[in-house]
Amino acid sequence: MTQAAAPLVEVENLRVRFSGTPPVHAVNDVSFRLAPGEVLGILGESGSGKSVTLKTLLRLLPEHKTRIDGTIRVDGRDVLALSGRELANHRGGVVSMIFQDPGLALDPVYTIGRQIAETVVRHEGVTMAEGRKRALEMLERVRIPSPARRLENYPHEMSGGMRQRAMIALALACRPKLLLADEPTTALDATVQIQILILLRELQQEFGMGVIFVTHDIGVAVEVSDRLAVMYAGSFVETGGLADIIRDARHPYSRGLLAANLVGAEPGTRLDAIPGAPPALHAPPLGCAFAPRCAKARPGCTEGEIPVWSGGADRWARCVAAVEEAGQAAAVAE
Amino acid sequence: MSAAILSAHNLVKHFKAGGWGANRKVVRAVDDVSFEIAPGETLGVVGESGCGKSTTARLLVQLLAPDSGSVRFRGRVAGTEMPLKEFRRHVQMVFQDSYASLNPRMTMLDAIAFGPTVHGTGAEAAQLKARDLLDRVGLDPARFGPRYPHELSGGQRQRVNIARALAFDPEVLVLDEAVSALDKSVEAQVLNLLLDLKRERGLTYVFISHDLNVVRHISDRVMVMYLGEVAEVGPTASLYADPRHPYTRALLAAMPSLDPDRRTREAPLAGDPPNPIDPPPGCRFHTRCAQAFAPCSQRRPGDLAVGPHHIAACHLNDRAEAAA
Repeated sequence: MTQAAAPLVEVENLRVRFSGTPPVHAVNDVSFRLAPGEVLGILGESGSGKSVTLKTLLRLLPEHKTRIDGTIRVDGRDVLALSGRELANHRGGVVSMIFQDPGLALDPVYTIGRQIAETVVRHEGVTMAEGRKRALEMLERVRIPSPARRLENYPHEMSGGMRQRAMIALALACRPKLLLADEPTTALDATVQIQILILLRELQQEFGMGVIFVTHDIGVAVEVSDRLAVMYAGSFVETGGLADIIRDARHPYSRGLLAANLVGAEPGTRLDAIPGAPPALHAPPLGCAFAPRCAKARPGCTEGEIPVWSGGADRWARCVAAVEEAGQAAAVAE
Repeated sequence: MSAAILSAHNLVKHFKAGGWGANRKVVRAVDDVSFEIAPGETLGVVGESGCGKSTTARLLVQLLAPDSGSVRFRGRVAGTEMPLKEFRRHVQMVFQDSYASLNPRMTMLDAIAFGPTVHGTGAEAAQLKARDLLDRVGLDPARFGPRYPHELSGGQRQRVNIARALAFDPEVLVLDEAVSALDKSVEAQVLNLLLDLKRERGLTYVFISHDLNVVRHISDRVMVMYLGEVAEVGPTASLYADPRHPYTRALLAAMPSLDPDRRTREAPLAGDPPNPIDPPPGCRFHTRCAQAFAPCSQRRPGDLAVGPHHIAACHLNDRAEAAA
């Protein structure tokens, strides 16, 4: 996964704050890059800011209540500066998104075929007949059985797994360069979930698109991602290649999450659980937001800049203890 | 296992789903399900949506009356030989939705003390007990006792629900997706609490979940359900290591691998689970089973012992036995 000269996505110092009483600091200083054709998994629990980060990339957040700072460039364009027609072209044309609940994301009063065809007509300026041809082709690509018949179906006439396939077909109909996936398999049964994950992996390769896949489930992230970022309280706390994070996590929160997912746990024994609960984020966290729950916390953790341990390009963890441990390991090695 | 603490005998529960006369539709939620639970054991129940696991839980605690069949507690039939009021002192339940299962107008202490008060415990003794229980599940009674459900997080509420279920000192807890709605880090805390409580109080659990990792961690035995029937039941280790029903095999193969070098290549099953309205004849799994052969669509497979305490309902095992 080399970082080519022109990354597909470049996010720098992104901060998202929702006004209100009390305000919520949902995303706090997130920076990352995504190469074309790369799959980044963002792993985090509810309230960690992972969905907000995704929605910011599509500018889906309510404008009058949201303050966004930082820069976002997708395919060379400044996303935060887009408006009107340009923004509409960006959504669905360059970047599209799939959601957890296709029942809510699809329009209940139009057939699947109509919804896909309409999107193609809007973005590519073709005729409705051509749009319908593309719709049929897309249903075939997402492997919906008897696709010609299914074009005439309304969302409620389809099963959950089928609806999710239809939503993927809709999202990919205009060949976006970037696909945002917000927990797309969480509501599905296990045997259906794995079908959708494998389908997404295949389509990603076929279309060569970049994907940002948000999930709370490490197992799901492992099935689809090239690279992982672990998110906590609105910040990335650790990032690295898939195997780096799964086998050699450095941040105590990442390690806790792995333990909670029963990675290598002995059945019937107590788990190495993280105590407490995530913070409410009414104020931007000082220092490391995880410190109050961290077994390795020390006085320096809640003030000032937290040092970053780095293990190569795009491999780092923002943690005092991780830096110290790496230093000790290096000293022992000498 | 003649000394079962809780047992289900040929439980059947069908729900009407609209339609009249010949068009009447029936959801066969639970169809002839029998099993036993030994004292101190944890029975995990797994299956996909619509397999009847939640209906089974509700039948077990007598929140639903079965169409036929019975539930016995230490050999006595609940509802007839054993009055429900007595039965409920021994068998309690924790639900998935921690918010919906608490009265929004009752404080946590009152919610926990309510049951024992109804059953004749003095108000003061009940409150004292509620304090002890809150403390035991890791919530400071002084801080959390006077709070209302909306003032707690999901994990805290689920702790309260567990405390409430323990207020009668029951012997059996039926946990229906009790940790599924929680974040992973909080789920681990609640699983630890359940393991500790079981050890302290010698509790028996029926642990219903769709998460096979969690079920493996907590259960002694696992029962796999499919479309209202039991497909396979056996000791956790042997069921996970050597599943004998193609559906169990598919479920296990569908688990994300957690190993970056060994991602799942092929989905074990195509399509969604069928609707429990009008399930297929014969073996209900035969429409999705890659190994189905002639008898599968005609005869319902019997329960066949495939190992010590390990039973599977699959014609393949009949055939293997006949060949042996």
